[in-house]
Amino acid sequence: MGGTCRSDAEVAVSSSKLNRMPKWDDLARLAAGVGGVSAATLVYTRWLAASNATTVALTFLLIVLVVAATSRFWVAAVTSVAAMLQFNYFFLPPVGTWTIADPQNWVALFAFLAVSLVASNLADRAREQAREARARRDEVARLFDLSREVLLTTEGRDAIASLARSIARRFDLAYFAITLPRGMEWERFEAGPLAITLDTNQLSLAFAGAQGGLEFDARERTYSGHRTMTVAGQVVRLVPLRVGTKPIGLMAATGRPVEPGTLDALAAVVAIAIERASLLEDRKAAEVARRGEELKTALLASLGHDLRTPLTAIRVAASNLQNAGLAPELQREQSELILEEAERLGRLFENILEMARIDAGTVATDLRWTHPSEVVTAARGQVERLLRDHLIEVAVEPDTPVRIDPRLTASAIAHVLENAAQYAPARSTISVTASVTGEGLVVSVRDRGPGVAPADLPRLFERFYRGSTAQAHTSGTGMGLSIARGLLAAQHGRIWGENAAGGGAQFTLVVPAEAKELAS
Amino acid sequence: MSGTARILLVDDEAAIQRSLVPLLQTHGYDVEVAGTGQAALKAAADRPPDLIVLDLGLPDLDGTEVCRRLREDSKVPIIILSARDRETDKVRALDLGADDFVTKPFGPEELLARMRVALRRVAADSGEASGLLQAGDLTIDYDRRRVVRGGSEIRLTPKEFELLSLLAKNHDRVLTHRAILKAVWGPNAVNQPEHLWALVAQLRKKIEPDPTAPRYLLSEPWVGYRFATSPPTS
Repeated sequence: MGGTCRSDAEVAVSSSKLNRMPKWDDLARLAAGVGGVSAATLVYTRWLAASNATTVALTFLLIVLVVAATSRFWVAAVTSVAAMLQFNYFFLPPVGTWTIADPQNWVALFAFLAVSLVASNLADRAREQAREARARRDEVARLFDLSREVLLTTEGRDAIASLARSIARRFDLAYFAITLPRGMEWERFEAGPLAITLDTNQLSLAFAGAQGGLEFDARERTYSGHRTMTVAGQVVRLVPLRVGTKPIGLMAATGRPVEPGTLDALAAVVAIAIERASLLEDRKAAEVARRGEELKTALLASLGHDLRTPLTAIRVAASNLQNAGLAPELQREQSELILEEAERLGRLFENILEMARIDAGTVATDLRWTHPSEVVTAARGQVERLLRDHLIEVAVEPDTPVRIDPRLTASAIAHVLENAAQYAPARSTISVTASVTGEGLVVSVRDRGPGVAPADLPRLFERFYRGSTAQAHTSGTGMGLSIARGLLAAQHGRIWGENAAGGGAQFTLVVPAEAKELAS
Repeated sequence: MSGTARILLVDDEAAIQRSLVPLLQTHGYDVEVAGTGQAALKAAADRPPDLIVLDLGLPDLDGTEVCRRLREDSKVPIIILSARDRETDKVRALDLGADDFVTKPFGPEELLARMRVALRRVAADSGEASGLLQAGDLTIDYDRRRVVRGGSEIRLTPKEFELLSLLAKNHDRVLTHRAILKAVWGPNAVNQPEHLWALVAQLRKKIEPDPTAPRYLLSEPWVGYRFATSPPTS
């Protein structure tokens, strides 16, 4: 690795020193310890007039032990020195002097020191373990929360970015990044308050190192090949993300020190999340493909019927026309039938083509200034033959020019009109109202048919969906409304259907558009 | 045939009605049209037709249901109009007693040929005392269980004779695999068509002039078999 890389150990050591600074807590314990010893001295000299030094020594030892067990070593040491001095001065003959007559009493003094040393050391170690355990528990809790979050990830890049943000937040990191190799480039998902730029070359080097295989790092007790790099004075740790043993990217973290083991676990969770996100993406693609297949099946089923009937009629009518004995009016009627059925087939193909264009997203809009009344007239013209059994009522108010795609809009209205003609009984009235509002062009088509069954309302614009009750009565293909919606969507417009207050169905189309002021 | 045959056309599609009615009329049939299953049942009860052309896709009743109800009290020939994606409905209708089917889109000749055969069968059934069937150079004597082709007797096993006589008694009708299996092998055999395939192959070797191009025992692929009294028109 380059010169800026060094081992993690230094970072870890400097962090643990932080915890060894004296605190008010320690001073309080010291006061308690020394105070305890002094109180014992007071009690023994004033009231008990203890002559037996062993009793006093045992009492002091007890106090030193308690202090050592609950405090740091230096607190215990100071306490034991205080105990030794007081024992010497007040209880060891010659009392009232610092002189030690009997060499045996030195033993007592050293016993205090030894006890405080051993006890505080043991206690210190236990405390350290407890602290470590607590830290581990916290990290495990964070990891657990994180993995729960990973299970809820959705597909795509957003999920990885939000995962990076969530890790930075949960682990309280100044900077955290998930970097994934994309050919020669690195895709980065960065999070945290600190803004630094990772060097691409160093990322590639670290990644190449991770690909070299697993090596055991004895000091960090990890196999995963952690690296550090210094960026803008910050020591950034790089941890390979692996699926199995195969590295798929790198994770970079700086700020609060995190145990190497925790970083490994974190890397494993992140790797799983990335893998999951990409699997979900694949599944989504498969789902889209499956829906495409479903659509084709539905299309074939629908076309089956809609093609066969006109084809049969055309074949039979054409053969009828070949019959020389056919009466002239019957001949006319048969050729009429052929024309109508051919038109029906033509419309079907138009619909299929239009639907394919909508699916392929190749519906081009061509905005022009046009009068709403023209659009409605054009729409009626497209389905004139289908509307001949119905009374059409048109009201356009105001007929202000709007800038829309007249062709797409008229075609959408025509599909809605065709739908109305299919479902409403013959000789009933179909009302078309068009107006220009702040939203754009609003057209509504209302029929006096049976209306829409509530169960059908949410599915009206689904392709090949045909109303459950009306299914048998009409010759629709289930494509019209879906095409109308597609044509409107191409112009950012919308359409919805509802049951009109006085009965019958009402469809409203809105095409966003700018309008010319009436005055201009 | 005496007089004009009366045809009941049951189809809800206006285009089909408008093209078929002139077709049938110009071929000398009397046509009545029904657009729904209920109307069809009523018309068949009020003025029994000689033949019914029945579309399976009706707005009110399922076509197979119409077929079943018609068969409750009538033996009138029924020709089904069906689509290729309604294969199972077609087979059900045949099981329920329909005689034949035409698949949409069909040509006029196809339908007319099926109608002629069905009408002829009815006429033949009512005309003869039914102890004997004569078709081409084949003679089947039901009472004496004898089959003669071109003057020489053909020896058939009892099962072969049972199958042949079943098809011959229903000549010019399509019998579904299921119906044949049930009649010849019993209700437990309906899902074992391999019995039938094997027996048909044996029978064809014995009675057909050319077993590879059958003239009497015709297959209706995926549906069943029919015994044709007149050679198939290709």
